[in-house]
Amino acid sequence: MRRVIDMRSDTVTKPTDTMRTAMANAEVDDDVLGNDPTALRLETEMARIMGKEAALFVPSGTMGNLISVLVHCDIRGSEVILGDNSHIHIYENGGISTLGGVHPKTVKNNEDGTMDLDSIEAAIRDPKGALVYPITRLICLENSHGNTGGRCLSVEYIDRVGDLAKKHGLKLHIDGARIFNAATALGVPVDRLVQAADSVSVCLSKGLGAPVGTVIVGSMSFITKAKILRKTLGGGMRQVGVICAAALVAVKENVKKLEDDHKNAKLLAVGLNNIQGLHVDIAAVETNIDLLFRGVILLYKVYVKICKDSSTNAAKLCKKLEEHGILVMQENDYNIFPYNYVKHLKTKVLQDEDRDPPSNNNKGCGIYSVMHSESCYWCIERACCVSP
Amino acid sequence: MGEVAIDKDGKIMRRVIDMRSDTVTKPTEAMRAAMANAEVDDDVLGNDPTALRLETEMARIMGKEAALFVPSGTMGNLISILVHCDVRGSEIILGDKSHIHVYENGGIATIGGVHPRTLRNNKDGTMDLDSIEAAIRDPKGDLYYPLTKLICLENSHANTGGRCLSVEYTDRVGELAKKHDLKLHIDGARIFNAATALGVPVDRLVQAADSVSVCLSKGLGAPVGTVIVGSKSFIAKAKIMRKTLGGGMRQIGVLCAAALVALQDNVKNLETDHKNTKLLAEGLNKIEGLTVDITSVETNIIYVNVCKDSSNTATKLGKSLVEHGILVMPENTFRFRVVIHHQITTSDVLYTVSCLQQAITGVLSEHVA
Repeated sequence: MRRVIDMRSDTVTKPTDTMRTAMANAEVDDDVLGNDPTALRLETEMARIMGKEAALFVPSGTMGNLISVLVHCDIRGSEVILGDNSHIHIYENGGISTLGGVHPKTVKNNEDGTMDLDSIEAAIRDPKGALVYPITRLICLENSHGNTGGRCLSVEYIDRVGDLAKKHGLKLHIDGARIFNAATALGVPVDRLVQAADSVSVCLSKGLGAPVGTVIVGSMSFITKAKILRKTLGGGMRQVGVICAAALVAVKENVKKLEDDHKNAKLLAVGLNNIQGLHVDIAAVETNIDLLFRGVILLYKVYVKICKDSSTNAAKLCKKLEEHGILVMQENDYNIFPYNYVKHLKTKVLQDEDRDPPSNNNKGCGIYSVMHSESCYWCIERACCVSP
Repeated sequence: MGEVAIDKDGKIMRRVIDMRSDTVTKPTEAMRAAMANAEVDDDVLGNDPTALRLETEMARIMGKEAALFVPSGTMGNLISILVHCDVRGSEIILGDKSHIHVYENGGIATIGGVHPRTLRNNKDGTMDLDSIEAAIRDPKGDLYYPLTKLICLENSHANTGGRCLSVEYTDRVGELAKKHDLKLHIDGARIFNAATALGVPVDRLVQAADSVSVCLSKGLGAPVGTVIVGSKSFIAKAKIMRKTLGGGMRQIGVLCAAALVALQDNVKNLETDHKNTKLLAEGLNKIEGLTVDITSVETNIIYVNVCKDSSNTATKLGKSLVEHGILVMPENTFRFRVVIHHQITTSDVLYTVSCLQQAITGVLSEHVA
């Protein structure tokens, strides 16, 4: 059986042996009627790590964001400012509106994941227009920013958005599904990174590798309301310690491994960009600009563009990769993106043919290359043009 | 006597007899092993194989086309109602004592924009068929009326004491729904208890329903989860609604593995639970100062009334039971609820009776095992 290299997303991570043991032995109780002790332990730990008063375990990032937005916007007629390319706006079924009755006001996301501060301020509704305007209550940021390629928002940028929010009496929520990736890449303690935020949604089931779950963090009063909304949405689970036990392992063991993921992403990006017919914006991958508030560093998500004049396209490429047990996510006809999550892959011995790279003998076409890092072997196969 | 054990620090630990609800059941050894070994995958990007196995099995058992695992019964009901009522201006008919109406934060309205039309629940959990029919909105009044789309039943019915709706009654409501082009949803959180008590196959019991929400984390003992069942097209929409609500979980096979064990091992234990419930009900009813309507005890739930002329209250009794390691759920000053599940033994039941007897009259009863 060939090993599958699944790089469609970092959500595909499977529980490690340590996690499975923890899940099997988890101390549990009814988390609705009272407190599940393991859930409580996870929530206490997450609040501490993120530098907030309290925390709440929820089934998914979507619910984490939905709850946060709805709690901050609990008065009818609320509006939230968020990026036009944000996960909340694009991939959460418009739930904040269809279920929550909250109106979205989008501001253009720059290539680095930020929104211009001027544009944010201009988007805030003037209370004097209350007869015709909804009321702006909340600004949402996403760090790291998924759709722009895992770009990181700097501490300085976030602090300035936080100041802006305070100046106008608004709250600030960070969709921090991959906040640990951002903190690692920026070299900043995660609690400092989110200091300006009133609430953060942190995913444990992505790069940290837990099987399920997100934790939202915020003030005690925020989390109290969040708990009720969680129940209302149907997220009140019973002996949830089973999955919280795995999440605790994820937080303890896997945050430190994120740096390797980022190194591997760089490696992958450079390797792919060297293949004729493919293009990766290396500058975005390698950039380590430490600017004031546009400091955007690295990503672990590699966007690959296929040159339009090549004789292949994303669909064909993905199929070919699949034959080799490599899974990536097709974006459209000419873009794919493989995540590099490599977290829990045990180093396995590959088949001989995987280890000995065939020679690069096809001009202008792809390269067989086998690279390995401490935690993963992968191969990139000749993928693009076949001579006509 | 309540069993005692020694914990790892050498302290004597009394066994807790937790009868607040059947949701308190903890995973068994078999479940823990299954969870540790579960085959998993990303259930949002594709299919988690263990979740798929559970959903296929549940659909088969319930006699429906498809099924979907969700984190809770609240979400199971919320999804079902929102899918059946996907047009703005919808109304549903449900019991005034139903779980959906009383204990689900009004989510169908506050989150889903659906209008509830409640009817009186009879003592046996039913609503009168005439009343249901009268509550269906006349389409001719649509300038002022919302549009009735759905009837909801609850089987077994919790707030009336775990009462079972019969096949005949369910079928007749189903016919009424069809006659008026409405859907029928059954909140079947405890449908297996009902099927067991009635001696009816569960798929026959829910045959008339378009959708059913079945809890695995109650009497069946799984740590988490409910499965909704219905037609393929219903479940396809339900899956999207689940994602929207935030119930799309990733390597969910961990929890589904435990749920599969619950299905395999614990449905047959429900009959014992019901026997223990009857035993407890009769024992409590014999205690002067307490009354239980024995005829209404059909499954695993007992409502115990505290006689108003005694100096006892439900809260006081609840507290003294806690000292004996027994947990119950006070409902109001003169009523408390007890729920039996497979982790409550017959000797727990007898012990509870003797403790209550003691609490009320200060006399050790002859029921001590």
